[in-house]
Amino acid sequence: MNAGEIVRVEGLAKEFRSGLGLRRKRAVDGISFSVREGEIFGFVGPNGAGKTTTLKLLMGLIRPTAGSATILGHDVGETAFRRHVGFLPENPYFYEYLTGREILGFYARLSGVPGRRIRERVETLLAWVGLEHAGDARLRTYSKGMLQRVGIAQALVHDPSVVFLDEPMSGLDPIGRKEIRDLVLRLHGEGKTVFMNTHILSDVEMLCDRVAIIVKGAIRYEGPIAEFLHSDERKADVVLARVSLELAAGLDARWGPLTGRGEHVELHVDEKAIHDVLAQALDGRAEVVSVTPRGASLESIFLSAVREGGDAGPGGPP
Amino acid sequence: MISPVGIAVISANTVREAVRSRVLYTLLFFAVLLIGTGVLLSTLTYVERERILQSVGLAAIRLFGAAIAIFVGIGLIHREVERRTIYTILSKPISRCEFLLGKYLGLVATIWIQLVIMGLAFVAVSWLAGAPLTHQIGLALGLAAVELAVIVAFATLFSAFTTPMLAALFTTGLYVLGHLSRDLRDLGARSDDGGVRLVATALYRVLPDLESFNLTTQALHALPVSGHEVGLALLYGAGYCGALLALAVVVFDRRDFK
Ligand SMILES: Nc1ncnc2c1ncn2[C@@H]1O[C@H](COP(=O)(O)OP(=O)(O)OP(=O)(O)O)[C@@H](O)[C@H]1O
Ligand SMILES: [Mg+2]
Repeated sequence: MNAGEIVRVEGLAKEFRSGLGLRRKRAVDGISFSVREGEIFGFVGPNGAGKTTTLKLLMGLIRPTAGSATILGHDVGETAFRRHVGFLPENPYFYEYLTGREILGFYARLSGVPGRRIRERVETLLAWVGLEHAGDARLRTYSKGMLQRVGIAQALVHDPSVVFLDEPMSGLDPIGRKEIRDLVLRLHGEGKTVFMNTHILSDVEMLCDRVAIIVKGAIRYEGPIAEFLHSDERKADVVLARVSLELAAGLDARWGPLTGRGEHVELHVDEKAIHDVLAQALDGRAEVVSVTPRGASLESIFLSAVREGGDAGPGGPP
Repeated sequence: MISPVGIAVISANTVREAVRSRVLYTLLFFAVLLIGTGVLLSTLTYVERERILQSVGLAAIRLFGAAIAIFVGIGLIHREVERRTIYTILSKPISRCEFLLGKYLGLVATIWIQLVIMGLAFVAVSWLAGAPLTHQIGLALGLAAVELAVIVAFATLFSAFTTPMLAALFTTGLYVLGHLSRDLRDLGARSDDGGVRLVATALYRVLPDLESFNLTTQALHALPVSGHEVGLALLYGAGYCGALLALAVVVFDRRDFK
């Protein structure tokens, strides 16, 4: 293990067989990547790309067809190191006959949290995910979002140093999403490593330090996200109303083609130019209707990666 | 390395699940009811009243014990995989082997608790009817407990790789065969055909001999039971459970949880 390398995946592949093993499907096709200490790593890809399959391989729930994976320097087939690992599955399921408090206590004991610290940990986690008041109700009565919160709580109850989250925002309302984002940032602040499966690009942009983009079982891009977040290529759409002919001519001349849309006019400009555009528009007594960032680089990388994947990729239809 | 902590946590929770499930109370209720009806049946006759009472009671205990063991056992592992509760559990520092053993021991503990409750009902009914409570009855109940542990081991093994339907079929089949395996052996031994004898002996070796845990006759007639016999049955039961669980672990360890 290189210094600071928390997860290392090399040539990992998983082939599912169905119909008496005659039909094969290569869900993950020899991928390699690594996750470094203390970073929030986004594992990004469209539906069916192989994100969940990769995470199940990392958790030892399915056995790889080829390749290897290590977490904290341990082969993922081992057990004891999982004391330092937290996992939130996609759409998590739990024992419905237990209450929120009981299930967190169960996972804490299972993870080797010392008996005297269990109560305190359980209460802390319930508060973190906003379930203090539902802690004594059976999980049978929980809503989807509440179960997602239990899932996050159990992933953190033993204070792991690396956390794997499969679609952590799924099933949560806007407030819940914000809370989980804050929680992830807080873990980051504590120096933990976070691995996150998602296809919500805005979450990735807001949270992740580095990403890997997986399409049809293959990695199309792996690298830092900061570079293109601050790149020159970001554009924005500015929509204005009550634009005089004089102002329209001025804007058109300086910022490129102005398009009309009913009573509104629209401009497509560099993000860096927004300030100047708005100043000029307000000077000319126009009204600003909206400013929408467009073509975030991650999105464009994502889209082109998906397109490049083509139909001939390993996950293509049989 | 097998850690007892993880096993204990899983077992305790398995017992807790059973305690919170209504189905088990219903089964237990009917078992106790049947033990009680022995009193009714015994009033129909003047001869051997106590013996009929206790014979019905012991049969009820063994049958209902097996029914509960099969009923809960067949879904023991399968349910966890199907409902995906196993995903989060195995992401914790617990091996598949520890999980499986924990589930097994938890169910055995549950069934033994039920056996104790049925046994207490039996003792109460016997006492009310003035039937003798011999130490052979205690031994018979003890070996019934061992038999139930073997049945749960079968159910756990099948539950580790197949659906509850098939597991129920296999486990029930082996339960029935297990009680006939001695007859099978004796039948084969009487055959003139060497091949038949060989097959019958081989089958007897592989199939469980559940009759070796059956002390009903000795209990009802207060016949002597040798310590040697009981010791052998205990050893046999432990060995059989061990082999079944080892097989279950091997099968379970190779599985993909999709
Ligand atoms: N048990 C299985 N048997 C056969 N094929 C499977 C199995 N599990 C997944 N697949 C296939 O593998 C591919 C990858 O699935 P996976 O669940 O990893 O995608 P994902 O990236 O997590 O998608 P999503 O964003 O929808 O969660 C899919 O094409 C899926 O059909
Ligand atoms: Mg997925």
